[in-house]
Amino acid sequence: MIMRLVHVVVVAALVVAAIDVYTIKFESTVRAEHLAKLAAEIKRERDTIAALRAEWALLDNPARIEALVHRYLAIKMLDPAQIEHLDSLPERPPVPPAPQPDAIATIIDALEPEFPPGATPGPASAAAGAAR
Amino acid sequence: MTWQRDATKRGLQQSLSYDRGSDRARKTQARLGIALFGFVLVYAIIAFRLVLYAATADSHVVRRGGSIDAIATARPDILDRNGEILATDLKTPSLFAEPRRIIDPDEATELLAGVLADLDSREVRDRLGSKRGFAWLKRDISPAQQQEVHRLGIPGIGFLAENKRVYPNGNEFSHIIGHVNIDNQGIAGIEKWIDNRGLADLHRAGFGVDREQEPVRLGVDLRVQHALHDELIAARDTFKADAAAGIVLDVRSGEIVAMVSVPDYNPNNPREALEPSRINRLTTGVYEMGSTFKALTIAMALDSGKVTLNSSFDARGSLRYGHFNISDYHAQNRVLTVPEIFTYSSNIGAAKIALSQGVENHKAFLAKVGQLDRLRTELPESAEPIVPRHWGELNTVTIAYGHGLSVAPLQSVMGVAAIVNGGYLIPPTFLKRSPAEARAIAKSVVKPETSAAMRYLMRLNAEKGTATKADVKGFYVGGKTGTAEKVINGHYSKHRLMTDFMAVLPADDPRFLLLIMLDEPQPTAETHGFATSGWNAAPVAAKVITRIAPLLHLEPRFDMPPADRLILASAKEGR
Repeated sequence: MIMRLVHVVVVAALVVAAIDVYTIKFESTVRAEHLAKLAAEIKRERDTIAALRAEWALLDNPARIEALVHRYLAIKMLDPAQIEHLDSLPERPPVPPAPQPDAIATIIDALEPEFPPGATPGPASAAAGAAR
Repeated sequence: MTWQRDATKRGLQQSLSYDRGSDRARKTQARLGIALFGFVLVYAIIAFRLVLYAATADSHVVRRGGSIDAIATARPDILDRNGEILATDLKTPSLFAEPRRIIDPDEATELLAGVLADLDSREVRDRLGSKRGFAWLKRDISPAQQQEVHRLGIPGIGFLAENKRVYPNGNEFSHIIGHVNIDNQGIAGIEKWIDNRGLADLHRAGFGVDREQEPVRLGVDLRVQHALHDELIAARDTFKADAAAGIVLDVRSGEIVAMVSVPDYNPNNPREALEPSRINRLTTGVYEMGSTFKALTIAMALDSGKVTLNSSFDARGSLRYGHFNISDYHAQNRVLTVPEIFTYSSNIGAAKIALSQGVENHKAFLAKVGQLDRLRTELPESAEPIVPRHWGELNTVTIAYGHGLSVAPLQSVMGVAAIVNGGYLIPPTFLKRSPAEARAIAKSVVKPETSAAMRYLMRLNAEKGTATKADVKGFYVGGKTGTAEKVINGHYSKHRLMTDFMAVLPADDPRFLLLIMLDEPQPTAETHGFATSGWNAAPVAAKVITRIAPLLHLEPRFDMPPADRLILASAKEGR
């Protein structure tokens, strides 16, 4: 009786082991294929990056930029006198204080919403018209 | 023996028969034995397969990944000092055929010729008709052409992705980087140096197909190179010179920051490189450098201690030597001090200074500052200086002012750099190098005091000598002009000149040395009919300095004291 039980257990273990080995093998095949695919993809991406970098270098070439600058911009060669050290710059001028609010303007602003928009050519609607 | 076999037979019979009469115990045992054997066998196979699988899995992957990969080998990228690309690889398809598998060569040729217009159909027909296993039809086709050929569906025609070298900056770096052949092997410049360094061996062994290679970082600066190239082309135009060349050298590290020699060629079209006029004049040409050599002569005299800045030499009349008559271009006809000899660029003065040192000392000094041996850099091309075989007094006289000894311009730049940077002779390099590394390999050739005196003379020359046209305000430029008469049919010609200019910036604490060289510049209206260095090479240098100084992180300083106060005084106090 004991022997039979042992046999059953051993056979079951065997079957489980076989299934397990098969699963591992299958999985490793899948992974290897995935790996190859990724490797190929990385290679392709790298080639693309290299191609784009080459193109960038071509577009970024100083000779080309200079030709474009001469054609479209009116900028001139930098004069050494234009370079200045940060320490030798004067202090930033103080910010002027905000102007005192105009008493009458405040009253008009407060009244404005009472008129229907567009009824009188008030300053707000004129500004809106200009924006349009 | 027979009873044994009988027993086995009986055992087998018993184990297989379901006879009542058979012994149950024996039967069970035999059956277990068979089962055991079976399982052991299965497990052994599984284990064996696992080992096999583990051992071969890799090659399996490689075969899948690399089936259509390149023949032409990958090369490392070449970058400038800021990491900008100077040369890189692009994957381009190439068309090949397996002639043995071509069914109808004529039809295939016709179809291909329809798609690829520039194909030589006779040659293709021959290649397809041969019995070879492999033949290139066309290297480097466009992806669109690849698509069209693919659509033709001719059996036995295929594509291989090849690495093609591209140089995005065109002409500008041709003489530094060199170029490659159709198989991506370096045949000139840094490209060849990369191959010599071991890449070729790597390729021969079948590696190095991938782009997993460390890029080569050069010490050159793309922007400075462009500015120099641009200005030299303009200068060559203005002065209708045969050629123009320039170098920017970092005097502390020996790095070549820019090197241009026009006419140059486009490395993307290397056939141009074969024209002899397009050689790199700075390393493969040797020239008599003219008066810039006086800097070396005076440095030698000052370093010996026998001559000081206050010494004076008689420069009256002209110096007769055998049937040679040496005269001054800016003749003063009086006794000149050493600074005056330098700023008036007096040939007689320089010759007398050299004679006061003796022929042997002169020769030894020039050898010490590297003017008599071939200078080797990373570039495979180099030229041997032309040194007189019998070096007599006459040779010393002429070499003192830069005639009679032909050196590669890069070589003279190295020598002058050593004179102004504190006395350290540093072999120039195209690769990146730190000042500390340069110090380790540098050779001290003159005393620091001599170097300070030479910086003073160079600056003085820009303040009130022949180099005033090169004095860019704000950068404290120092410089020496040089004009050499070219030898035509064995005689020095008065009208075919080679002018050069060496600028040191800034002169009080040199960072860079700039050489500008013009081959046979013509006088123009602006130069009032002159064709000497101070009228062409020096103004070109000024233009170049204005452009490159901000790129080289040199800060302009204004209201600087004159040379005698700034350089001489500080040299006396400091050391």
